[in-house]
Amino acid sequence: MRFGILLLALIALCSVVGSVIPQERGAAWYAQNYTAIHAYLLMLGLDHVFRGWFFVALLVLLCVNLSLCSIARIRSVVKAGEELLPRTAKLPDAEALTADGVELVRGYLTSIRCKCNDFGEVSVYSKNLFGRYGSFITHLAILLTVLFGAAALYSPTVIDQSCLPGESLTMTDGVEIAVRDFHIENELGELDFESVLRVKLPDGRESDWRAVSVNHPLSFGSYKIYQQTYGTAGSITVRNTANGGEDVFTLTEPCFLTADGVNGLWYEALYPGYVRDADGNFTLITSTSGSYNDPVYQLLLASDGEYTPVLAFPGEDLTVGEMQYVFNAPVEYPGLRIKHTPPLVNALLVFAFCLMIAGLYITFFMQPVLVKLDGEGYTVSGLKPEGTRMEIRLLLEQKGE
Amino acid sequence: MLNIIFFAALVLYFAASVLEFAGVSFKKDKLLKAAWFVFLAGFALHTVYFVARGVKAGRVPLANQFEFSMAFSWGIAALLIVFRARLHAEWLSVAAMPMAFLVLSYAALKPMEITELMPALKSTWFVFHIGSAMFSYSAFVLAGCVGLRYLLLSRREKEPDALKLRQMDFLSYRLIALGFLLLTVTILTGAIWAEQAWSSFWTWDPKEVWALITWIIYAVYLHLHLRKNANAKMLAWYVVIAVPVVLFTFAGVNTLMPGLHSYG
Repeated sequence: MRFGILLLALIALCSVVGSVIPQERGAAWYAQNYTAIHAYLLMLGLDHVFRGWFFVALLVLLCVNLSLCSIARIRSVVKAGEELLPRTAKLPDAEALTADGVELVRGYLTSIRCKCNDFGEVSVYSKNLFGRYGSFITHLAILLTVLFGAAALYSPTVIDQSCLPGESLTMTDGVEIAVRDFHIENELGELDFESVLRVKLPDGRESDWRAVSVNHPLSFGSYKIYQQTYGTAGSITVRNTANGGEDVFTLTEPCFLTADGVNGLWYEALYPGYVRDADGNFTLITSTSGSYNDPVYQLLLASDGEYTPVLAFPGEDLTVGEMQYVFNAPVEYPGLRIKHTPPLVNALLVFAFCLMIAGLYITFFMQPVLVKLDGEGYTVSGLKPEGTRMEIRLLLEQKGE
Repeated sequence: MLNIIFFAALVLYFAASVLEFAGVSFKKDKLLKAAWFVFLAGFALHTVYFVARGVKAGRVPLANQFEFSMAFSWGIAALLIVFRARLHAEWLSVAAMPMAFLVLSYAALKPMEITELMPALKSTWFVFHIGSAMFSYSAFVLAGCVGLRYLLLSRREKEPDALKLRQMDFLSYRLIALGFLLLTVTILTGAIWAEQAWSSFWTWDPKEVWALITWIIYAVYLHLHLRKNANAKMLAWYVVIAVPVVLFTFAGVNTLMPGLHSYG
């Protein structure tokens, strides 16, 4: 137990260090913010405590310790179990009782549904004997949680990718993820960041169109698709007035829309809104947490080698030479996180979680009750006998015994 | 109106703490009785406020630092009432009543307006995760109060009541067992929720790390308590010293270490 406690203390100490020193920031960041000690900090690996060799070694040692403890514990519990009741019957009385007191205690033990085992003139009342396994179950569950937890953290492949509505993504193994729709706000103007997606597996199976939002990922096969980030893209319809050709461009980064490589339109950025002062000057709003309510296109008009800054609003259009540019309402698009996890890993981890909660409940709230009662007194036995002892004592005090 | 109920509960908790302290200091049963009734009145108002705020907000009021602190204080008061009723632990009040008052005072320092639940918190796991955290912190703080009472009793009296000390030690153990189970539920439901929201069961976010540190601290206590030659006085010191860690995990991390759990 001492070694286990030491390991837990060291893990806690490393965790304190890992939470106080910001992790995974890069050497330059530490040089700037921890000028005096950054060399030691990097040398000791304190910039990545939670994946450092010493931390992993502590976890491995903890697993070994838990395994050995679990084996030793179950052996001793099984061995003690065979002689538990006869051994309790042989214990001397810890407290003397009158005849009325004996009946009171007997009545109390029956009322809490203890089983009566007779050994001649001595009775041994028992309850929750299964509780002896609680500690073993808990330690086993912690071991499984560490092992399956490591598998669940390090076995999945995770890819972050943006996708415009109406388009699809194809993964290296042939899985196709189609995005039909995305919006930042719902009809009531509340933020909900919801995409409508469909997943198609290489074997031809495909999911229904499903809404994906924060806390509601789409699970299909061994894939899980999360609503991770979002963006708003400009949308410009480019029309060639000479031949009637037309195309719609959805723009997420600066680009030059031109037919001849000289004249055309530089798309620079899309802003969510603006403020216009009394003199007619614009101040552009640079960020928003919701939809772009008053979007503004920031552009450069390129004509015969001259560049003119221009602002444009959805619904307006500009003409440069033969090309007409029509500014549409912006397009909202999702940033998706695509996670591929080997089968069963998550299920096994959740099983370990449930086992741990069950183990702790059994350990603390189903503790074995063992009371030896004869005509002269009683004694309370077990791993944590104080609770039963206290209840009996309170009962006897209340009845004036 | 809601704010009046909140501040009335706060004042009643304060009055109960003062009466309890006076009752213990001057050994006056009438004062102790009055303190208990004042405290129960405060708890009733606190409960009304808790429920009314939940109804007004249309959700369980556990979404920000104010609501969590308010619920945390309610948890301390509720556990005190349960343990007094079940185990006749009247001696616990002198430490627990001021604690309920102090945590509620901390809540009063935070913005009180009802805000809409942000999308990341709209989940069925919300109630289980935050609710279990609230009760586990309450149990740990109350265990600290028991530890404090243990130390005062064993220090002041020349021949302290050994039975009472054993009861205190056992009550402290029961509270920590309850808190530990609930903290485990908090961490595990949080991990499942994190996997649904952020795609990973564990991200080493400061709040997660400090919840783990708190879990380890109490796991060590439970192991020390198992030892046959466990020193009850040393364990009482341990549970008292552990309380600041719980309070840091509750409030300090959100203030000093911004991360994924910084919801305001």
